[in-house]
Amino acid sequence: MKDVNSPIISLKDIYTAYEGAEFPVISGLSLEIGHGEFVIVGGPNGAGKTTLLESVNGMLPLTHGTAHVCGMDVSRNGDAVRKKTGYVIQSFAFDPFTPFTVENVVMMGRYGILGCFKKPGEEDYRATEESIKLLGLEDISEKPIGTLSGGQQQKVLIAQNLAKKPDLLLLDEPFSNLDLCTREFVSDILKDISSKGCTVLMVSHAFDALPDKDVRIVVMDRGCINFDEFCHATEVKDIVRKMSAVA
Amino acid sequence: MLEFLIPNNIVCHAVEAMLFASIACSILGVIITQLKISSIGFTMAHAAFAGAACGMFFGFDPRISAVAVSIMIALLIGPLTDLAKMPEDTVLGVLFGMLMAVAVFFIAYMQYVGKGFNANSLLFGDVISLYREEIYALVIISFMAVIFVVLLYKEISAIIFNKKVAEAAGIKVKPIYYALLFMIAFTVALSLNIVGGLLLYVWLITPAAIAYQFMFDVKGLFIMAPVVAAVISVSSAVVGLEYSLPVGPLTAVVFSVVFIIAVIFSRKRKVTSRKH
Repeated sequence: MKDVNSPIISLKDIYTAYEGAEFPVISGLSLEIGHGEFVIVGGPNGAGKTTLLESVNGMLPLTHGTAHVCGMDVSRNGDAVRKKTGYVIQSFAFDPFTPFTVENVVMMGRYGILGCFKKPGEEDYRATEESIKLLGLEDISEKPIGTLSGGQQQKVLIAQNLAKKPDLLLLDEPFSNLDLCTREFVSDILKDISSKGCTVLMVSHAFDALPDKDVRIVVMDRGCINFDEFCHATEVKDIVRKMSAVA
Repeated sequence: MLEFLIPNNIVCHAVEAMLFASIACSILGVIITQLKISSIGFTMAHAAFAGAACGMFFGFDPRISAVAVSIMIALLIGPLTDLAKMPEDTVLGVLFGMLMAVAVFFIAYMQYVGKGFNANSLLFGDVISLYREEIYALVIISFMAVIFVVLLYKEISAIIFNKKVAEAAGIKVKPIYYALLFMIAFTVALSLNIVGGLLLYVWLITPAAIAYQFMFDVKGLFIMAPVVAAVISVSSAVVGLEYSLPVGPLTAVVFSVVFIIAVIFSRKRKVTSRKH
């Protein structure tokens, strides 16, 4: 049973550094996020936003501090955390002839939950189909992902993570390749899954299609949080601009 | 095993060897070509070469030392790639240079002190003079490779697609990737002194390259590559033995010709002429 009273993300004084780097990218950051919250992370380039996401799901190791996500210690149970956490990556470039169809890629979201030696079952196929339908990818589900446009590929990666039915969804610049209409469409999907209890933690520089609701805005600079408040989606752009300028 | 179809023992053994080794290598070849680590073939061939030279020099059975050194190198590839923070092909290139140097050193020294060393069977193999035990060994190696890919198909396909996406999905990428590299290297090392380096290189790359011209999904590649490999290998072996032609080089030439034909008729190069 998930304990909705305890935070889904609890970071205490964490530091994260890349191998070979002289200084940590994240320094002494603490953050608590509750179940079902919709959090937008803003800030200038190099502030540590992507690093924050990858520290939360354990893809980058912490050098100091503790991180608990979905009730688990990230440093000890990184794989288990990632099974409950979706992560839509920022940069991707697929070979035009990469031998994976849209359906193959969306199904991959289920592989971690399934575990080794198990074949996808009825539930996995259903979740994949639902996710493809939700993102409106039915017509291209048999096409190789490499032949799609950047925006369509981004939608496929979002569908892949939704097929996992995650407790927490991390998104790194999910709107960067999308046109305005598609941004609004994806934004509505994120609003919907958030209202159903999935926590959304999204790094973004595009604030023109945020869901029409109150969101939490976290502004980062040089590996630290310098603003953390709730506001309406329409205020996010001004707050991020102001706080980034102050920094 | 196939004596009921092919009464001649020599032809039968050659066909069996070609069939089993080509199926295993071509399945692993799909992974090798997709991960862009084709140099793993010649690096492992030179690991066996260096191991055999070491064994000869120190008075061990060269076949056992060839396999022992190959297994050591197979275990080293994954962790070394991670530690060096470099692409697999670069690390494989470094290992290739080192292993070749070790082999050449021992061969040169043995020649200097008057000991002979013949690497022909290791490099080129001899499919028409195989013992029954060697055929059984090939069957076991092939079976292990196929089972490995079937059991870890999901994880392997996700890693081929994108390691970061696979890791984010909750797959234990590092141990599976190390096991994958080990399995490829292990199969190459054990098959090498039975079928030789030439056929191994061909089976590891060309069937997957031919299948890639026609298949748009990874499952199709895993099915088409071994079918292509088995048909070409077995028919080349039968023709080669019937007309007393060297089987290995003949098979390699036929594969290359089929590859060129596949490129010409590839569905992937087709540009639509439709206007709507």
